[in-house]
Amino acid sequence: MKQTLPVAVAFISGLIMVVAFFMRSDVPVIGGLSQEVLIWGSIVGGFTLLLGAASITRVNFNAVRLRRSGWGFNLITLVSVFVMALPAILGTFFPGVRWFGTGTGSLYDWMFTYISIPMQGTMFAMLAFYIASAAYRAFRARTAEATLLLLTASLVMLWRVPLGEWLLTAIHSDLPSLVNTYVMSGVNLSVQRGIIIGAALGAATMSLRILLGIERTYMGRG
Amino acid sequence: MSLWDRIDKLDRRWIFLLVGIAVIIPLFVNMEAEISITPEARQLFEAVDALPNDSSIVLVTFDLYAFSLAETEPMARAALHHLFSKNIRVVTVTTIPLGGPSIAERVTREVAAEYGKTYGVDFVNLGYKPNYVSVLRGMGTDIRSIYPTDNSGTVLDSLPLMNEVFNYDDLDFIFVTADNGIVDFWISIVQAQYGIPVGAGVTAVMAPKQYAYVGSGQMTGLLGGMKGAAEYELLVERADLGVKGMAIQSLIHFLIIALIAVGNIAYFISLRRKRRGQA
Repeated sequence: MKQTLPVAVAFISGLIMVVAFFMRSDVPVIGGLSQEVLIWGSIVGGFTLLLGAASITRVNFNAVRLRRSGWGFNLITLVSVFVMALPAILGTFFPGVRWFGTGTGSLYDWMFTYISIPMQGTMFAMLAFYIASAAYRAFRARTAEATLLLLTASLVMLWRVPLGEWLLTAIHSDLPSLVNTYVMSGVNLSVQRGIIIGAALGAATMSLRILLGIERTYMGRG
Repeated sequence: MSLWDRIDKLDRRWIFLLVGIAVIIPLFVNMEAEISITPEARQLFEAVDALPNDSSIVLVTFDLYAFSLAETEPMARAALHHLFSKNIRVVTVTTIPLGGPSIAERVTREVAAEYGKTYGVDFVNLGYKPNYVSVLRGMGTDIRSIYPTDNSGTVLDSLPLMNEVFNYDDLDFIFVTADNGIVDFWISIVQAQYGIPVGAGVTAVMAPKQYAYVGSGQMTGLLGGMKGAAEYELLVERADLGVKGMAIQSLIHFLIIALIAVGNIAYFISLRRKRRGQA
């Protein structure tokens, strides 16, 4: 039963969506059923967020309780989760209080705007330093393929910025548009299309395996 | 140790310092350069510009995490300036739980205030609902079954704008701003299945993949990274953070190319010396 029920649910839900894909949404029964499955999908998605919050609390609480290595960071994570979540959740119980909830002027909004955004932005901006360092050390023309990659990357990097474009235009007036036409909309486009088609075929195969109950790793076992 | 060996084994802190200087210089020195418009950005602008004024409704998505705002917020702002200046009404939505609704709320309200737009009449923020595949598919049949209320909990039927929007058939265009793979689903689920035109502004690292959709005609125009944001700002004649950021990005790109060149020269000279030494 523990194996049969999830496979049956996956099969029926998947089958409804596959059949609904080929029909108009106002077709009786199947249209309503597919919309019902989608609503359920969104509700289940909400519960996965709850599960994530419970999991992060449990893992970090245990680390703090047992004083594991680096437990201070776990404590900061734990405090941050609750400090962000509580004012947002309290909005449900005290809708009239401006500080609660997630709207403009709420504590959650203030913390997100003035703490979370700058911190995330800082972390992302640090990539520029590491990319520069990595480019200096690792981007070497050791082979013909690496040389080709290096030259193409440099050409695209120049093309993507005004000063670089000015430099390319100084070499030949059509060079920037040639980069767009032949590198980005030519070689790049065809390679990306191949990757997208390959990934789509893989996803279709995996979906079919799940529908037929061959693929069961989503249940936590092979 | 020779000079080239030293350059080859340069401490990375010197590189960090150079990057820091390259970021700071354009803040004090005016380094304006002409920004050209790519065909993909122009295509997006022309598609939005061709929408009928006053009567059109556009869905703007904020599929953004806070870390990418430097690149993506300028393009979202430029898009909203374009839409509100044409009196086009806007519905915003996000598939990102971590701050997505807050970003959509803040950016839309700030731009809307400049044009005297009213919430509920001229723009609505639907906010976030979990499981983006279900959300994107479900909105195609009935938005209310997925979003019974807007981001602040107001029932959709009480918002005048939403009395005209029930599913994708009531929208004229979808303007996606995204920093992750969800843009693929706006194409494969919404554009492909419902036929509504979709244009996108994405981070620079995501842009190469999107060329495949532009080439196939599934995506109506593309903005790639800060350059894309700068292009759209110029097209809507609202030069802002995107245009300002191009000077910094220009210097950083030149620095990285210079570092690659110097690194390779030092590597090959050191390699040749080692070979000579062995011989």
